Amino acid sequence: MLAPMAIASDEQLVARCRAGETPAWNELVERYSRYVYAICTQGFRLEDHDAEDVFQDVFTRVYTHLNRLRDDASFRPWLAQLTRRSCLDRLRSSAREALADEVEPTEVDETLSLLDDALTVHEAMAALSENCRDILDRFFARDESYRVIADALGLPPGTVASRISRCLDKLKPLVEETRAATRHGVG
Amino acid sequence: MNAFDHEELGRLIAALRPVPTGWVRAAQELPAARLAIEGIVSRAVADAAYRARVVADLESALAEEGIEPTPAVLDELRDRFLSG
Repeated sequence: MLAPMAIASDEQLVARCRAGETPAWNELVERYSRYVYAICTQGFRLEDHDAEDVFQDVFTRVYTHLNRLRDDASFRPWLAQLTRRSCLDRLRSSAREALADEVEPTEVDETLSLLDDALTVHEAMAALSENCRDILDRFFARDESYRVIADALGLPPGTVASRISRCLDKLKPLVEETRAATRHGVG
Repeated sequence: MNAFDHEELGRLIAALRPVPTGWVRAAQELPAARLAIEGIVSRAVADAAYRARVVADLESALAEEGIEPTPAVLDELRDRFLSG
């Protein structure tokens, strides 16, 4: 099986970011952009205009405070915490929430836990072939129809569903590997 | 996350949707934006006329440097000028 050997761990990326490597920063932003966006919009139900401010604020804080991160391997929970705090600040400062005693949505922990699992699955997808990554992302994350996917990728429309199924079969063990690596503090 | 049937995997892939256009690029440009901010501040310290121009129109000063005037960048620049 193709192990994700060529994929830099968070620890490696963070170290390279500290050294001022722009490609590492670009990769870090790319890797975590959907996660931060999802925390804003699904966890805290921010509208896009508020979510955009929080999104940029979070990455600004990450960039300027990266030296404060004590354990580079803990980047993911640190980022989640930064995003959570930034969302709460935004909700508290919002006039429509001014009278609420508690601004945090009640099921936020549950949503963040689901997003954490989702991020693990997306990390595992990085070890798939580009074709599989593309087709799974188009179908599930971008809501594209079989017809649109077939046209975009030059496939017979009747084969899209079976390709999705085969790619999910390949993804399954990769998710297990990624989870095991995460539990053992690798990557 | 216990079982990984197709339905569950699909649900988790769908949970992280694409970020609206432009947000990622703006965040990726932060290092360049920081450099530009430093350049603007240094130049403003040395040149009072330039400083007045920047204070009057922060967005144009950033545009001249090719930097997207995101709220975070504008806040940073405002803080630097107010504190400096």
